[in-house]
Amino acid sequence: MKSTKEKLWLLCCISAFLIIAFGLSPLALASDTFDPKLFGMPYVLWVSITLSILLILLTVLGTLVHPGSDNSTEE
Amino acid sequence: MITIFIVIAIVYLGVLVTFSLITRQKNKDSTSYFLAGSKVGSVLGIFTLAATLFSTFTMIGMPDFFRTHGVGSWIFLAFSDAAMVFGIISVGYYLRKKARRKDFRGLSGLMVQCYKNKFAGYITFVGAFIFLVPYVAIQIRGIAIFLNATFPQAMPIWGWAILIVLIVLIYSEVGGLKAIIYSDMLQGIILLLVISVIAYNCVSYFGNMENLFAKVEEVNEKLLSVPGPNGLFTTQFLIASLIAITMIPFTQPQVVTRIIIMKNYRSLFRMAIGLGIFALIIIFATLCIGMYGAVNYPDLDTAQFIHAVIITDQSNLVAAFAVLGLIAAALSTSDSQIFALGGELRSLLTGEDKKMLGITRVAIVFFAMVVFAFSLLASNELVLLARTSFTGTALMAPMIFTALFSTRKLKMVMPVFTLLSMLLFIGSLLNIIPNMVLGLRLDLMLMLLLALLGLFTYHFSPKGDLDSGKV
Repeated sequence: MKSTKEKLWLLCCISAFLIIAFGLSPLALASDTFDPKLFGMPYVLWVSITLSILLILLTVLGTLVHPGSDNSTEE
Repeated sequence: MITIFIVIAIVYLGVLVTFSLITRQKNKDSTSYFLAGSKVGSVLGIFTLAATLFSTFTMIGMPDFFRTHGVGSWIFLAFSDAAMVFGIISVGYYLRKKARRKDFRGLSGLMVQCYKNKFAGYITFVGAFIFLVPYVAIQIRGIAIFLNATFPQAMPIWGWAILIVLIVLIYSEVGGLKAIIYSDMLQGIILLLVISVIAYNCVSYFGNMENLFAKVEEVNEKLLSVPGPNGLFTTQFLIASLIAITMIPFTQPQVVTRIIIMKNYRSLFRMAIGLGIFALIIIFATLCIGMYGAVNYPDLDTAQFIHAVIITDQSNLVAAFAVLGLIAAALSTSDSQIFALGGELRSLLTGEDKKMLGITRVAIVFFAMVVFAFSLLASNELVLLARTSFTGTALMAPMIFTALFSTRKLKMVMPVFTLLSMLLFIGSLLNIIPNMVLGLRLDLMLMLLLALLGLFTYHFSPKGDLDSGKV
């Protein structure tokens, strides 16, 4: 049986994969598309900035549930 | 501006000398010289890794890349860096575990131990050498061209290049990795502050971000979407770039070393988060500078554009710190990589430590000379050459991952195919073989094939205790 932390870590990994896949899909990489804009930023830019921030937030979450997080003193 | 620059440059060099002298006394063996005692905390870790990763390529190359190819550059670097940071906490954990078990001295040495064959180490070393030397060379060339354009009367491009190589050599030879890490911290802070101030000034020029992008839309609408005005940012290009950049922490020795030498997992995790935030701030700043350049200097060449945006358009104080920041960025990346090549060589040598350390120090001088020679020949396409370097070393990732994760007895099939792939990739760079195969980019195809082979090797290698036996 996997512990809750391991399940959450797995969930983080799957989420990271999905964010990356979305970021490289035609939905985010819409050719010659400029709208809708956000704070004046074109669509491709604000979507990719949002996804990048999401990945960093996921990394923060990941460090809390990572299998090595219990083992902070390790080695 | 020149007077201010001379004063702060003297202070900066004084600090570098102090770091070297302080750390010199403590470097008595290879471990302290090449691995800095392996007890680096998270703050120092963030800045040393950031200064190693974000270099002339970032400060000169990325604003120019945004100016020329548009907002797709964000996906190319920032999105890829964010993915890389997640990769550091995912795979970095296993890398450290394996490295601790194997008495890590360098990535090449680790491969020798995992594959129980010296050729695996040689292939790793050769791969690092072939693809890191051009990368270091373009850092030095980039800054030398810029300094030549800024101070045309002072000395020629090769003169600046040799001066930078000499500074790098002296303080890294004397102080070892510890001196490099302390100077990285200083360089990282300068880089972050300077580029943020310049970006702020660039946005202020237009009033706000909305006006900035509205102006860019008037000048060249194609800059605001993909694939960009020159059609560079195709999906395949971005996927291959993301894979190459995500693999940097596990394939480029200077970054691998910095993951290993962190004090513990907690420090590693904090360092990864800090690096991600640092990356987004820095790259956002280069976006603002690039967009400013797209409006005001669309037709200048790289050196003229950078000169205009960071010197002509800034106050004397900011301009002086910007020049210093650029030099610091070039130094911090070059020293780490030349030094890492030394560390890789040391990890392959066996014999009395003092003697091997001496040989390695001589080799570092040799590596620096090769870098200098290459810097005179390299092209000015900083970002695309850097990407080539990332892709080249990324081809080693499946071999390294198989070694990290497998507990089975590994055969030489992965190292051999890695070598073959690197040769094919070099062949495509030299236009000997095509760089598109069956509609796929060759680099992407090689990465995918190696990954499949790695998975096959992982599952079907004969069972055996990987940690027993001798090389």
